[in-house]
Amino acid sequence: MTNLTRRHVLAGVTALGGGLMLPLPYIKRAKAQESLTIGVVTPLSGPQQLIGNFVKVGAEIGADYVNKNGGIGGRQVKLEFRDDRANPNDASVAARELVGLGANLQLGTISSAAALAMGPLMQSEGGVVITSGAGTEKINHENYSPNVFRVGDNPYMRNHGLVRHIVEKNPEISSWGGIIPDHEYGRTTWAVFVDAMLTIYPELTGKQPDIKQPILVPYGAGDYKTFIAQAMRLPVDGIYTSVYGGDAVTLYQQAKPYGFFDKIKVLLDSANEFLVAKAMGNQVPKHWSGFHWYYETNKGNPLSDDLYNEYVKRTGDKYPMGWAAEAQAAILAYKAAVEKAGSSETDAVIEALKGLTFDSATGKRIIRPEDNQAIKNVELCFIEPSAEAESGFAVTDYVQVDGAKVIEPPTPGEPLQLKAL
Amino acid sequence: MTDHRSRLHINLAILAVGLAAFALVPSFANSGLIFLAGMVAINVVFALSWNLLFSGIGLLSFGHAMFFAGGAYTVAMLSLKLPGMPFLLALLCGAAIGGLLALIFGFVALRRASGIYFAILTLAFAELIHIVITRTSFLGRNDGLVGIRRPTIDLGLFSINLAGGNRYYYFIIILMALIALALWCLQNSAAGRLMQAIRQEPMRAAFLGIDTQRWRLAAFVVSGCVAGLCGAALAPWAGIVSPELAHWSVSTQPVLYALLGGTGVFWGPAVGAILFGAVSYLTRGIHGVADLTVGMLLLAVVLAIPGGVLGLISRFAGGRGAGAAPGRALPFTRKVEKAS
Repeated sequence: MTNLTRRHVLAGVTALGGGLMLPLPYIKRAKAQESLTIGVVTPLSGPQQLIGNFVKVGAEIGADYVNKNGGIGGRQVKLEFRDDRANPNDASVAARELVGLGANLQLGTISSAAALAMGPLMQSEGGVVITSGAGTEKINHENYSPNVFRVGDNPYMRNHGLVRHIVEKNPEISSWGGIIPDHEYGRTTWAVFVDAMLTIYPELTGKQPDIKQPILVPYGAGDYKTFIAQAMRLPVDGIYTSVYGGDAVTLYQQAKPYGFFDKIKVLLDSANEFLVAKAMGNQVPKHWSGFHWYYETNKGNPLSDDLYNEYVKRTGDKYPMGWAAEAQAAILAYKAAVEKAGSSETDAVIEALKGLTFDSATGKRIIRPEDNQAIKNVELCFIEPSAEAESGFAVTDYVQVDGAKVIEPPTPGEPLQLKAL
Repeated sequence: MTDHRSRLHINLAILAVGLAAFALVPSFANSGLIFLAGMVAINVVFALSWNLLFSGIGLLSFGHAMFFAGGAYTVAMLSLKLPGMPFLLALLCGAAIGGLLALIFGFVALRRASGIYFAILTLAFAELIHIVITRTSFLGRNDGLVGIRRPTIDLGLFSINLAGGNRYYYFIIILMALIALALWCLQNSAAGRLMQAIRQEPMRAAFLGIDTQRWRLAAFVVSGCVAGLCGAALAPWAGIVSPELAHWSVSTQPVLYALLGGTGVFWGPAVGAILFGAVSYLTRGIHGVADLTVGMLLLAVVLAIPGGVLGLISRFAGGRGAGAAPGRALPFTRKVEKAS
């Protein structure tokens, strides 16, 4: 039996107190003058970790590129990472802490709810954040905040770009159905797809498209067979899907034995990039997928080449995905803005980011001053199985759509207006 | 045996020390840590509300997130749609919604199930609330509700603006301290002893003429009100409410806090919530393994010290009945006396 004496207690309390006091001087640190700290708040654990890792590596590559080329206004960039687990509360703790540490410039948010939380938070804390793939349209519409920027494409641009290309390429395909995750992201993308079809199809063909009601599938479900059977009965030639990540892999794998992909003429995937192809290999169905960035499309662009080469070197993965480019673009946007403003103070950087033109892995991007939304090219690739490719799949066609032609008018503070069925 | 007044004094002293410790946080911490401390203060009472059921009357709830989310969404809606409504009234509405949800679900679940079946039903109900929120447009669906401002409390002669500085933080810790005190008083009142009797010997209590079902429902409603109040206080603190608040993982939090701190001691869940917050914060830089660290810690505590941290301290203190037996919570009133 341990005899607990007052001496033991005093020694324990002293040790505990000492241990707790040790980091205190570092909790409220003054801003480092010699380097510029940029905070990266992104999912580094949990279901969204896969995407968060692209953001992490992309930000590191972007920061190294900037540092090798003189830093930002002569200051070396230092990244401070925090895991938000795609949760608004964790993101709030991390973002506030980073502002407190002097990292008033931040990037990396990919969860829509976390990105929406950033607006009021950054306004009150005096920071600015550039999202790295958050899909909600509300960021630059009804929940617009001057302290939140999106340097990537938004759902409206992405879907209008995809639809314009598909209709130009396959004008004979007029009947469309959808397999959509029953989630905010899914409903938004479907609404924008419908708006794009109702706008672009008549414009290019002079006819009206035939769009069926979408099949809503549960978010995070492990069994899609009932929904696939339902989809098999849809009298359509084209299918649009915004099911993403692991759900998309499961859906595609379960749909293949049904012959679903042989039944339809075109499969349009809004955002999975290589996620499904890498999981399915030579079993992947032929499909078009939207990309934030595809390296072959941008070959010859030094920023794209650097991103690709460095990514492969650091990870061994030959198929980097667009979220890495979004994080790199955020670093490049901060470099351009800070150097333009001659200051890294929040208000000056916000002012400089508005209307900023900067180079990125996908070429020039322009940030609209009205709603902080970037105008950038929309990219999409045609992926199909390949016997020759080591991975079992290959990109056999890819295009860029001019972002300026497919972006909606800026209406900060107002909901996005869309045509509906 | 120490009388009630002495125990009250001891627990008031514990509460005062805790409150002072929280009040000192802004003097050395940055805004991220202050925000986290506010969350921990809310979680402390959230966990105490759960333990009111578990150790107080012997009900295991796996669905406490529904009350928490109910309170949070109520204040968020009132703040956005009726910005002129007095904040204290909005907080009470949040608590009332938490209590109402508990009344509805408790009325159904307690009539039909007990023990683990009751726990599973609460889990199912909470998931139902989660799904309803994600599919309800005026609740913001999956994106939640954004832009909830920190309020001004109008007290007639003067008003207190909680928006600036750390004022809302101080409001939270004082509010949570008052609720914790109220919970202690409840659990150490005649009603609390009666609930203990129901937990320990429900059949004997029923033979003595106690309407055990009604008391269980009452405890469930009180617990729901407190959890709702915690959620209500959270909404202006976070500035956003999202469906994650009703997710099952939020329901597991008070269970984890209580296991870590010890369910057999009144302040056990509070200690668990604070330790959990501290460990999460200190491991935040270990990306990808932070959850693993917390999980391992919890596993170690459950296997090595089933009575939780305070149970271990009680055992070292060597008093009567020290060290809660595995899976069995001991009467907390005595335990507090020995721990202190």
